[in-house]
Amino acid sequence: MTAGETQELLKTIADMLGKGLRTVTEPFPETDKEFADILAQLRDLEVDDLEGKLVVSGFVDHPFGPDQQRCMECMYYLVHRRWCDLPELAVPVEPDWWCRLWRI
Amino acid sequence: MANLLWLQGGACSGNTMSFLNAEEPSACDLVTDFGINVLWHPSLGMELGENLQRMLRALTSGEMPLDIFVFEGTVVNAPNGTGQWNRFAGRPMKDWVADLCKVANFVVAIGDCATYGGIPAVAPNPSESVGLQFLKRAQGGALGASYRSKAGLPVINVPGCPAHPDWITQIVVAVATGRAGDLTLDEFQRPKTFFTSFTQTGCTRNMHFAYKVSATEFGQRKGCLFYDLGCRGPMTHSPCNRILWNRQSSKTRAGMPCMGCTEPEFPFFDLNPGTVFKTQTVMGVPKDMPTGVDKTGYIKLTAAAKAASPAWAESDIFVV
Ligand code: SF4
Ligand code: SF4
Ligand code: SF4
Repeated sequence: MTAGETQELLKTIADMLGKGLRTVTEPFPETDKEFADILAQLRDLEVDDLEGKLVVSGFVDHPFGPDQQRCMECMYYLVHRRWCDLPELAVPVEPDWWCRLWRI
Repeated sequence: MANLLWLQGGACSGNTMSFLNAEEPSACDLVTDFGINVLWHPSLGMELGENLQRMLRALTSGEMPLDIFVFEGTVVNAPNGTGQWNRFAGRPMKDWVADLCKVANFVVAIGDCATYGGIPAVAPNPSESVGLQFLKRAQGGALGASYRSKAGLPVINVPGCPAHPDWITQIVVAVATGRAGDLTLDEFQRPKTFFTSFTQTGCTRNMHFAYKVSATEFGQRKGCLFYDLGCRGPMTHSPCNRILWNRQSSKTRAGMPCMGCTEPEFPFFDLNPGTVFKTQTVMGVPKDMPTGVDKTGYIKLTAAAKAASPAWAESDIFVV
């Protein structure tokens, strides 16, 4: 993906979230097994089903929960690329976003 | 000349394979350069049947001196403490082990099974396996905690599943050339020269550990294997990234997590699907947190580490 395409995709996602796309933020996977179950659901989606990905993983465009968790501290967030490196997601993200696959 | 005898109890022969792959020094060097007389070895021994029994009896009676007794595999006690499930040369192997350890100058346990019981000793342990002087973390094993060989040393434990080829031959050479006194052993009787540093020491992924970039799949050429794939490199005593395997690589360099095979609790996990190559987390936070760090501190630390990471930490760097 070129830098331009990445920017465009980021904007698309931001727009979808900005327009109030309802995503599944709860329940947060408490255990490794629950985490793996969400990954399995993501793998079942069509490759280009962007909305499906966002919904299943529970994307929001702001920090979340009592700990104000955000992509910035997440294991999968690549700071310089502003990218979510979790293979099942692999989308550009902003540091202040969050999804329920957050893991530190 | 130092007489060496190598026997094998409950084992897969992995340490024999490892021994035969040694390079510095090689198994042949032991004979040609270091004057070690290999009396018998499961893959190399020439004697069979009655001849072998005669030799073993000559050793246990003291008629023939036994300088180094090397044992690979567990001491099998099943069924019901009789040891009959692992018979060798006409009697339970455990009886040969007990007798040979009484006359040996030095006893060296090679591999996890001989040192701590390893995989065969995992519950429910149907073979009633124990290591020579330990069962997992508990001292005792087949010989008892107070056992000392004729030279006054406890069993020298060279763990690993298998032990690295050169750890084996280098320890054998040290013992055979009279340098056993230079060996200092740690609390699990491992030679400190090999088992003081961690698998992580020299790992090419250290910067990814520091900057918290995670490898998410086996074989990935970037990222640390700790955060997702259960790497035990930071808490496992082994020189796997200092004394490389095949002289050129290691598990972590090849993108496989360390499983902690040199520690007495190996294999650690209950071996249920999904527990081995997986870092266990609770609410997204690792179950085993670095000592003295709480969740909020850890989140802050992570943000700082991420913010400080250089751009190249995110690229697919080539690690040998
Ligand atoms: S897994 Fe979720 S929280 Fe983590 S970086 Fe990706 S999108 Fe953000
Ligand atoms: S891959 Fe394992 S040994 Fe290497 S830095 Fe990460 S945790 Fe440490
Ligand atoms: S890297 Fe870890 S599991 Fe592999 S041999 Fe070394 S200590 Fe054992």
